[in-house]
Amino acid sequence: MELLGNLGINTKLFIAQLINFAILFFVLKKFAYQPILKVLDERKNKIDKGLKDAEKAGKKLEKITEKEEKVLDKANKKATEILLEAENKIEENRAKAVTETEEEISELMKKAEQKIAEKKEQMLAELKKDVAGLVVMATEKVLDEKVDGEKDRELIQKVTSKL
Amino acid sequence: MEQALIKPSFTPEVVAQIGNFPITNSFLVTLVISAVIIIGALLLKRGIKNGKPSGFQNIIEMVFEGLLDLVDGVTGNREQTRRFFPLVATIFIFVILINWVEVVPGLGTVGVEEIHHGEKVLLPFIRSAAADLNVTLVIALVAVVASQFMGITALGFKKYAGKFLVSPFKKPYFVGTFVGILEIISEFAKIISFSFRLFGNIFAGEVLLTVMLMLVPLFIPLPFLFLEIFVGFIQALVFAMLTLVFMKMATEAH
Repeated sequence: MELLGNLGINTKLFIAQLINFAILFFVLKKFAYQPILKVLDERKNKIDKGLKDAEKAGKKLEKITEKEEKVLDKANKKATEILLEAENKIEENRAKAVTETEEEISELMKKAEQKIAEKKEQMLAELKKDVAGLVVMATEKVLDEKVDGEKDRELIQKVTSKL
Repeated sequence: MEQALIKPSFTPEVVAQIGNFPITNSFLVTLVISAVIIIGALLLKRGIKNGKPSGFQNIIEMVFEGLLDLVDGVTGNREQTRRFFPLVATIFIFVILINWVEVVPGLGTVGVEEIHHGEKVLLPFIRSAAADLNVTLVIALVAVVASQFMGITALGFKKYAGKFLVSPFKKPYFVGTFVGILEIISEFAKIISFSFRLFGNIFAGEVLLTVMLMLVPLFIPLPFLFLEIFVGFIQALVFAMLTLVFMKMATEAH
């Protein structure tokens, strides 16, 4: 005990210091550590959340860009398709029109040919008639002049033999 | 007028007496430092309530984050860090402040004169509280008791007691028992090494500063002042870190 006293240790002071330290500890705990830790925790959570959100947003943006590209691609493809189809249809229509016209023309030609042939026949028939008439007329004229002598006789004979 | 003798004393000087209670200079300093810390804590709390962090709060936050990382480095687990942190931080803050009282002007030189053993002796008002064994012993005791407490709550009383009281009839036999006894002694040794390390460092610093001031009052003491600021920081850090390590060791099962 004397040794402790020589070192300056005094029970009363020791207890007083102990109480002092205890008060300090509890005051600091209540007013400094807990609030500060809370603030630090909250800040950390906030930062964590912010980082996570940023990451999420980045991912979403990537996805959207991808989607956009896909949609654009699709639209492009569709447009080409439509154009191609239209071209095809036009071509088809044209071809159809051409064949139709050709057919019509050939039909018309046929009709014309037919008509021409008919006319020709008619003309030929008429010509035949005319030629027969002319032959008769010519025969009459020839007969008129040379109906005498033997011929006449012959003819008369022919006619009479038939009678 | 005869110059009073300045004689650095091993024990804190009693500057006043209230009833039966001796008020020593180091006790006065402790009270002032405690008041400063408490006021700081209250201001901090008010600042946090206000929302926007002020400069003061930022500094405190920086210090606390550094300390938290330090404690995390030792415990390696956040939950334990939260358990250990209040005591470690309190020890660090309190010790560093009472150490730095050393460099306050007037330390050891401003005080009341008294006739002591026929000599005029100066009783200084300011004495670093860490140069008082009462204070260092209190902190050491708190640290060691707290480490026992942490050990018991973490391991359970039986398992924790098993560290110290080993039956001589089990596997390592008497070696185990002997090691257990050594462990008990080492716990007491911790108290002594804690308190005397801090006391010795700071008391030596005080003596050094006073002597330097006596020899050459101008400029020469400056490097020593910086040295003492550094020593004060290191001692506070050592005290806090050792407390932390002892608590961590106490919570580890063998």
